[in-house]
Order: sequence, then C-alpha cells, then structure tokens
Amino acid sequence: MLMAHSFPEEVLEHVFSFIRSEKDRNAISLVCKSWYEIERWCRHRLFIGNCYAVSPRITIRRFPELRSVSLKGKPHFADFNLVPQGWGGNVYPWVAAMAQAYPWLEELRLKRMVVTDDTLELISRSFKNFKVLVLSSCEGFTTDGLAAIAANCRNLRELDLRESEVDDPSGNWLSHFPESCTSLVSLSFACLEGEVSFSALERLVGRCTNLKTLRLNQAVPLDKLPNLLRRAPQLVDLGTGVYSAEVRPELYSKLAGAFLGCKELKSLSGFWEVLPAYLPAIYPVCAGLTSLNLSYATIQGPDLIKLVSQCQSLQRLWVLDYIEDNGLDTLAASCKDLQELRVFPSDPYSAEPNVSLTEQGLVSVSEGCPKLQSVLYFCRQMSNAALLTIARNRPNMTRFRLCIIEPQAPDYLTLQPLDAGFGAIVEHCNNLRRLSLSGLLTDRVFEYIGTHGKKLEMLSLAFAGDGDLGLHNVLSGCKSLRKLEIRDCPFGDKALLANALKLETMRSLWMSSCSVSFGACKLLGQKMQRLNVEVIDERGPPDSRPDNCSVERLYVYRSVAGPRLDKPNFVWTMDEDFALKLS
Amino acid sequence: MSLCLFESVISRPYIYKAKVAALILSLRPQFATMGKATHSSSSSIDSSKHPTLSSASSSLYHQSKTNTDLSSDLRLGLTLSTSTSLLPDTLSNSDSREPSTDWPPVKPPQRNTVAEKGNNRQRPIFFVKVYMEGVPIGRKLDLFAHHSYDGLIATLAHMFSITILYPNMDRVHSDKDHVLTYEDKEGDWMMVGDVPWEMFLTTVKRLQITRADRC
Repeated sequence: MLMAHSFPEEVLEHVFSFIRSEKDRNAISLVCKSWYEIERWCRHRLFIGNCYAVSPRITIRRFPELRSVSLKGKPHFADFNLVPQGWGGNVYPWVAAMAQAYPWLEELRLKRMVVTDDTLELISRSFKNFKVLVLSSCEGFTTDGLAAIAANCRNLRELDLRESEVDDPSGNWLSHFPESCTSLVSLSFACLEGEVSFSALERLVGRCTNLKTLRLNQAVPLDKLPNLLRRAPQLVDLGTGVYSAEVRPELYSKLAGAFLGCKELKSLSGFWEVLPAYLPAIYPVCAGLTSLNLSYATIQGPDLIKLVSQCQSLQRLWVLDYIEDNGLDTLAASCKDLQELRVFPSDPYSAEPNVSLTEQGLVSVSEGCPKLQSVLYFCRQMSNAALLTIARNRPNMTRFRLCIIEPQAPDYLTLQPLDAGFGAIVEHCNNLRRLSLSGLLTDRVFEYIGTHGKKLEMLSLAFAGDGDLGLHNVLSGCKSLRKLEIRDCPFGDKALLANALKLETMRSLWMSSCSVSFGACKLLGQKMQRLNVEVIDERGPPDSRPDNCSVERLYVYRSVAGPRLDKPNFVWTMDEDFALKLS
Repeated sequence: MSLCLFESVISRPYIYKAKVAALILSLRPQFATMGKATHSSSSSIDSSKHPTLSSASSSLYHQSKTNTDLSSDLRLGLTLSTSTSLLPDTLSNSDSREPSTDWPPVKPPQRNTVAEKGNNRQRPIFFVKVYMEGVPIGRKLDLFAHHSYDGLIATLAHMFSITILYPNMDRVHSDKDHVLTYEDKEGDWMMVGDVPWEMFLTTVKRLQITRADRC
C-alpha cells in the first residue's frame, strides 16, 4: 500500500499511458482505490461488448475522458435473421449522453446497432474533433445521415460502412464533403447500393493525399477505376467496384497501368461481377498482397487458381467455393504465409453440390500452410478422419468454424457422428478461442469440449447434442467461455439452472429453438440479480402459456444497468418484478 | 399411428436424407402442441424407456452409455420437436430447397449476390470466326470457354482434324502441319501463341488456320 502513495499521480498516469490493452487496464484499476481513480481519469479508449451490459450514465461517471468508444448491440445470430426486427440496440441514448459528456470524442465504432439519421446528425454536430466512424452491420440510417457526417466533420479521417444496410434516396452524399476536406485516410462504402457522383469521388480522392483505404461499391463501373487509382497511388487497401466491362484493349491497358502504379497495395476486395479477361491487370500487385477478398467474385476455378498462385505473400483469403479442392491445393502450395481462410458457399440452398469442394481442400491447406490459424469453411461433406488430420496438422489453430450445409450430416465415410473429429480439434488445438460446430453431433462432443476447450471463448452450436448433459459439460468445463450461442439443440432447464453462476462470468448466452421452459427462465431471472434474463417470443406473453412450455428464444447476459428500458413488445425480462407485471 | 412410423425410422440410425426428414416433419404439428415435457416433446413417446428424460438427475450421466438405437430415434424426435426454423414442407423436394432465411448461416449481402448467380453460372461468351485455308465455310468458337492456348489448339485440332503447330512447340514440322494465325484489332495477321493468353483475348478478332509451309 505504501508503494501506491510514493509515486505522484502524474508519474503513475504516465506509466499507465503505456498500457493499451483493455484487459491490462482493467487489471490496473483493481489494484487499489487510488490506482482505480488515477486509471479512470486517464482511460481514453473503451470497448463495450454488449451495449446493455452497462448504461451511458454509469460509463460516463466512471470514465470522464473518453476519446474512443466501441459498442456492440445485437447478438451475433442477428446476422442470420434469428433476432426479430425491432429487437433493440439503438445507439441514440449513448450518443445523446456522450454529446454532453465527451465534446472531444474522436472515434465511434459500432457493430450491429441501430443508427438513425438523427443520430448521425447529432454526431456530426456534437464532436468538434470527430475523426473515425465505423458502422459495421448497422442499420436504420440513410445517405442523408452520411451527408451530415461528410459536411460537418472537418477532421474526418475514417468513414467505414461495413456491411451496413443503408437506404439511398438521393445519392449525393459524397458531394457533401467540402472542398477543404483533405483529411480522409479511409473511405469504405462497399455496402451502398446507389451511385455516387464520380466527379465528386475523383476530386475527393485526388485531394486526400493520405488516403490509404478506398472501398467502392458495385455502382462504380470498371472504367472509372483507372482514374481513381492514378489519383491515389499510395493506396494500401482497395475495394473495386464492378470488375467487368466489354472487352476493350484500351481499358485493359489503362487498368493494368494504373495497378502498376499502386506499389503499396496490400489488400484487395470488391470484385462484383468479374470478367476474367480483366484479371491479369492486377497480376503486378499480386506478389505483395496480404489480403484478398473474393467472396462476391463468381470467378471459376481455373481463373482463381491462376490468380491465387501469384499471391505468395497472402495472409488472408476469402473466396467462394468455386475454388474447389484443386484450387485449395494450389493455395496450399503457393501461399505459405496464409493465416486465415474463409470459403463461402456459392449455392447454399441446393441439396446437391454444384462444385467439387470437399473436406479434402481444407485438409490440403492445413497441411501446406503452417501459419493457418483461422478457418471458416462451408462444405457438404466431412469425415472424422479429415478433422483428425486437420487437428494434427494445425495445433496452432485459434478460430475454427465449420459449416456442413446439411444439418446433422454424419461422417460421410462411416456414417458416424462427428464427435471424434471435433474432439480431436479441441484436443490438439490448445489455443482454440473460437469454435463453430456442425454435422451430426451427440453429447460426446461436448464431453471433449468441456475437457479440452480451456481457452475457448466463443462457441456456436446448431442441431447438436442429445440433452442437458451436453450443455452442462460446456458450461462447467470451458473456463474461458464468454459467448455461447445455441440454436435448435435439445438443451433444457437442468444444465442452465445448474450452471447459473457461470453465466455471470460470460458476456452472453443465446438459445433459440431449444427446450428451455418459461418456468426455468423465471427462476433464473429471479435468482440471478446481475443477469438480464430475456425471453424473446413472438407468440405473445410467455405467461399466457404453461410454465413448462418452451420459450422461442432466450438471451441471458450480465449487466450492471438493470433491465432494459427500451424493450419491444416481444421481449420480456425475467426478474422479481416480472410476476407483478402481468399484461 | 405416430409410434409405428417412428419405429420404421428407428431401424436406420443417423438417416438424414430429405425424404425421411419430410416424413418425420410432417408429424410435427402434433409435437409442437405438446408443451408438457421440460426436455422436449419427444419425451411423450419414449420417456418411459429412456433414462435421460426421467426427472432423476443421476440419469443425466447414464445417457451417453445407454443403447444407441433409442438415442438415434431420440435425436430424430428431438430434431423434430425443437427445430422450428427448418422449413418442413420444402424439404420434401430434395432437388432444391426454398431458401430458409436462417440456415445455412450466410449473411444477407453474400446471400443476395450469390444465390441469384449461383445456379446459373452465367459465363460471358466471346465467339470468333475460324477459317481453314481453302475451305470457304468457316466455324465459330467461344474463346472464353478456354483458359489457355493448349485448350484452344486442342479444340481446333479436333474441330478440323488436323495438327496445329505453335511457337515453342517441341516438334519437327512437316509440310502437312498447319499453323494458327489471328487477325488483331489493327488488322494485322499474327501467329497465335506469342503474347500472354489474356492479352490475346483483348486483341483477337478472328482466326485462320494455314498450311505450315506458307508461313
């Protein structure tokens, strides 16, 4: 205790300024009261993984000097339409509170939140030094809101609209960047559908000499690309627009010349509608690419192979399953620095395979790429043997998400469940942090996961398991578990109630189409004061059905903010007052 | 009625084909309304036999050791009762299923772009005329259907039943062989094979096969 008083505050503050990681900052604040005080006054960045876990008021009270705030709203399964429209996650209350408390806020990063034009307008007017706006998978705004940001944020450095849903009524938002704006470093509007003014875009790109990231949308035709590239040869990250046009030699040579001039390019994406004849224009930059996103590119195997075989520095590849097994063989042979691979299905809804992509492709990559640690793989068949091979090849795997398209598909060779295969993954990959399972799985796989998945932080389950024992093994065994999302599994009340305390150590638990009864939800909510136990049910109030009736969806998360005040009419919080709030 | 149908399925564990799923799922309405059991509504079939579903907590730990046949029908039953999101009716057609909006877990932007194009695989096409010297009627060939000179040469050789020479070919040529030439955008006639394939595609207008001794 004496040590804490022997350093003046300024010294401690200076020391703390070298500590950037959230976890370490949190640890510092627990040492003693004076460190807590000093730390909270000099914390400038905050990440809130669940916007309902804490309130704006509590946040502001504790951290008066924030410059950068990140917030996440809806649960991850909202990406797949499992969370009904109107569930929540509106960021306005946060922005309104921060407008008062943090006039010097510089950065706002939001994921899966509802953002309105009014909110964007408020942001643009309240924060004089606003620099970074990232809206990832957000919705609720139009390009009018973007126009306000463009017009009013004088020092804007980054505007990134990843995969957000944006209405585009006027299409003129880009022209609202004043001629004096030269500060942009990153501009990404790939998710927008409407056209932008090309002349405004060219002028903007031309005067922002520090522009490093430019991701265009589908409405930017290929013949506009050479001019843009010539104005921004310093680009590091490019998202093309449409990559197809009539075959015209002069366009080809302009394009090839423009790419030749971009010596710093490390990342390419976009590639909607690719005409393979134009692909060689990017060959000069391939050797330097570390990231390539072809997940919208309907390029066939041979062209993909030609492209990928030139990208020897590739660290990240996102691609459609047109790459097929032999394309992945090429990848394994050519790209020895590969760390992350995502293979998406080109035809997810057909029962029959349309491409020759099997488990073999993933096995090849696991053999050939020693640094491979992150995988998202959609396929139509898998075997325990393949999973075992992958596990043995890549014990350094940290994220493994496998989606076998047919639910509950067994090992196609033996017709057995895939328990042993996934068991091998968790057993050999000691640093596994994220895992998504699919295929035919019994409770056995959860035994393995509970036993070996000690570093597992996020687990996603669908159509798996036999009963409560499975869930119990996961909740009691996975010491590091933070997020658990489950759909269509026969898990019920017992495991949930037996592991109620565990839920307080996690960020959240999502269960939909399982067998959790309303009675159990009520019990959980009443007993665990620091959890918000929310029943999401579109069939009407849960108490209009018997206590042992299963709820449609359950979302449990720890919170110091108490029950949500902004619930829609299909969400109920189970707490002591619930019984009194009968509709 | 429901038990008999179930028993016919029990004898084939781990079946997941669409037809069987459709059969089971056609029984779904009955189970959905049985809100009684805490674990799942399939317990109404087998709770008397299956240890898992009894309320004694110790039974949880026996489950993994007991007979597999019941656990398979249990799984099938549980699939039935708990999956509200698989579209049951459309599964009966095993050729293609109506897109369920929540499985497989693909995000909307990807889904929209790809599902439209996925089944069609519409490739762009580029037909050029091909004449054989001395033959007045020409043929047409889609250059985009090939990915390299090798493929093109092979197709032409087959189409015209001849042998075609091209640069860097390892062969002593005889008078009977042919060479492949093309007219470029500038109107000049060039040997096929000198420039990279992709560049060739941007300049070729038509092809001609001539006798080797003419070149």
